[in-house]
Amino acid sequence: MVKYIFRRILLVIPVMIGVSFLVFTMIHFTPGDPVITILGETASQESIDQLREELGLNDPFLVQYFNYVKNIVVDQDLGRSYVTNRPVTNEIVSKFPNTLRLALLGVLVSISIGIPLGIISAVKQYTWVDNIAMFFALIGVSMPIFWQGILLIILFSVTFRILPSSGFNTWQQMILPALTLGTGSAAIVARMTRSSMLEVYRQDYIRTARSKGLGEFTVVVRHALRNTLIPVVTIVGLQFGFLLGGAIVTETIFSIPGVGRLMVDAIRQRDMLIVQGGVLMIAFTFSIINLFVDIMYAFLDPKIRAQYK
Amino acid sequence: MMKKKSAILLSLGIIFGLLVAGCAPSTPTPGKDSLVVAMGGNPVTLDPHGSNDQASSRVHRQIYETLIYQTEGLDLVPALATSWTQIDDLTFEFKLKAGVTFHNGEPLTASDVKFTLERALASAFIGHIVGPLDKESITVVDDLTIRLATTRPFAPLLTHLAHPAMAILNEKAVTEGGEDYGTNPVGTGPFKFVSWDFDEKVTLERFDDYHATKALLREIVFRIIPDNTVRTIELETGGADIIFDIQPADVSRVDADPTLTLVRDANLSVTYIGFNVEKAPFNDVRVRQAINLAIDMEAVVNTVYAGVGSPAKGPLGPNVFGANMDLEGWDRDVDAAKALLADAGYADGFTTTLWTNDNLQRVQIAEIVQNQLAAVGITVEIVEVEWSKYLADTAAGLHDMFILGWTTVTADADYGLFALFHSSAKGTPGNRTFYANARVDELLDLGRTTTDQAARLAAYKEAQEIIRDEAPWVFTWTGENISGTHSSVRGFLQHPAGHHRLDKVSFSE
Repeated sequence: MVKYIFRRILLVIPVMIGVSFLVFTMIHFTPGDPVITILGETASQESIDQLREELGLNDPFLVQYFNYVKNIVVDQDLGRSYVTNRPVTNEIVSKFPNTLRLALLGVLVSISIGIPLGIISAVKQYTWVDNIAMFFALIGVSMPIFWQGILLIILFSVTFRILPSSGFNTWQQMILPALTLGTGSAAIVARMTRSSMLEVYRQDYIRTARSKGLGEFTVVVRHALRNTLIPVVTIVGLQFGFLLGGAIVTETIFSIPGVGRLMVDAIRQRDMLIVQGGVLMIAFTFSIINLFVDIMYAFLDPKIRAQYK
Repeated sequence: MMKKKSAILLSLGIIFGLLVAGCAPSTPTPGKDSLVVAMGGNPVTLDPHGSNDQASSRVHRQIYETLIYQTEGLDLVPALATSWTQIDDLTFEFKLKAGVTFHNGEPLTASDVKFTLERALASAFIGHIVGPLDKESITVVDDLTIRLATTRPFAPLLTHLAHPAMAILNEKAVTEGGEDYGTNPVGTGPFKFVSWDFDEKVTLERFDDYHATKALLREIVFRIIPDNTVRTIELETGGADIIFDIQPADVSRVDADPTLTLVRDANLSVTYIGFNVEKAPFNDVRVRQAINLAIDMEAVVNTVYAGVGSPAKGPLGPNVFGANMDLEGWDRDVDAAKALLADAGYADGFTTTLWTNDNLQRVQIAEIVQNQLAAVGITVEIVEVEWSKYLADTAAGLHDMFILGWTTVTADADYGLFALFHSSAKGTPGNRTFYANARVDELLDLGRTTTDQAARLAAYKEAQEIIRDEAPWVFTWTGENISGTHSSVRGFLQHPAGHHRLDKVSFSE
């Protein structure tokens, strides 16, 4: 098991190299010029030439990429933003905890709502409980995030005045963004849990457990839940990885300084090194999450555990 | 088994607890001596030579000062320079105020001014604002006297020296700060820099050794709230005392609220629809005039801006020096438009594209214009282009018609006309219509170099008349700065250029 984990961690390196080269190429060949974008509506040819030289953009594409990789390997330096001239590392490191916190809270909300909802739906399939739960799931997944966010702000900040409408430092400020982000995911988790539970519920070993005289709750939670959770864990892992890419709309609505806003602004301004740094961070985190999800499988299912020798 | 389950629950609980605990203190609640200002833009750098964006300038205005200050009424008054004399056609001598200290305790001397101007000239971002300065001519006469000259006569020099990018820097602080000076600014202004949580807030504090009347408030916190609706909500709920850039849709709500005050003044911005005059059919002046006649700009502006700002009467806003307010308007006349088009050989109309970026109001303008032009047989396809590509492609002349804006930051006609209509400014410098007229060039050159105010006004008057007749633009909209304050806020005045000083602001009892 340990060897397996170690091998998986080593595999992250070629993934990052591949991702960084792909993104570097894509940004480089995207229409639009970072220098003209940064200088704005008025830019003399002299200032354009000067800035291009200062940013090292006159070098051939491969030379630029090589210098970039060299700086990372030799100096652990991800470069400086073309726009703000601040170190890329600082930008990402200062914003990543906010995005991580937001993503984790979002996932927590989604599994606290989604899994119980899915289980109850499955156990009470075709009853009114099931219909109501799935109706809410449909609403949750259909509501656009910006609409839901503003609605919650108007309700809780303006009308009831009990929660703040922006920022992300106190626990009160975290409630609305987490709810906004989590309810959409909750819907997906609920549906996944429901269909997975329905499959498991029909199995013979569940009937055996019930015939042993065990209460329904024990049957569901101790025997059915473990197997139910395997596909759910996959979905939650994917959701989490997606959220770590930055929940851009939530971050904008609630004025949260996170990686999502950073990346979208950087792409818009062709701030190449910020985009590169951000993508590397996301690729790395996503690889680790995938690894964690696979370890969870081993934890949940002994058959899978045996394969990881 | 039970132990495992409770272990999981416990770890989840701990994770949750760790997530919400250990967080920084909340943003300051508005108090009597701390002002919270919310704006949508994100400051790029606190080094005035590192960027020319509005959000950064708004913070620079509080920390730094220029030699000359342009008041809210657009008059030029002494600031760090107490007086100035023009020695010859090209040379000025400035006397600096005595006893001025920077936030780090260093005294202001002429060598700081020399250092600042030389560094400004070398900046790719704002060098163009002092471009005409002759670097070799900047001379320190004594500690409080400095002489400088331009390479050619440059009439708007003094207004350019009042631009926020001309903030006077402390040589020692900049040299010591190196590449990171932009996050550790030192100025002479009424507020000094305390801290900056990037993308979140900038905190400033009153500078008690300020050389003039001290600021009334102890602290200013600039909060960055990008969503327009949420920013307005922050004002309503007390999360901010002042907010900038209220959108047309929110104006009536803030106006109607008795606990809030709406502050609105004409600004220096203009929005326009431009033609690529080097591309058919827009190389024919009759086509451009026909389109001007076919558009009812009053209707467009009323619909899109709901009473904010006004339809533009020319390329310059009403508060710009040299603005010709007597230009004849292009009143809508569909028949005259069709006649002109027929004259030009387009009796059956033609198909073309109208480019815009993803700005909400500009897209709405495009849609209405598309509708209006259909009445004269012109089929317009609206193309929404992403900002970076937009700037690059319009500079390269790939477009037909396009919508863009311009801010005449110095409130002087030279800044509002030269970069947009002079033939030497085609492409990235600003002339994206690729317009060229020898007489206009002559007039703009004259306006730039003669110091005779009357001659300047006459030159600009004629230039604007030619521009109106030759119609490289459809004049669209001149804007307003709209801010909102809590009703207890006193002393808040807007500057037409958009960066408002806050040292006279206080709270009433």
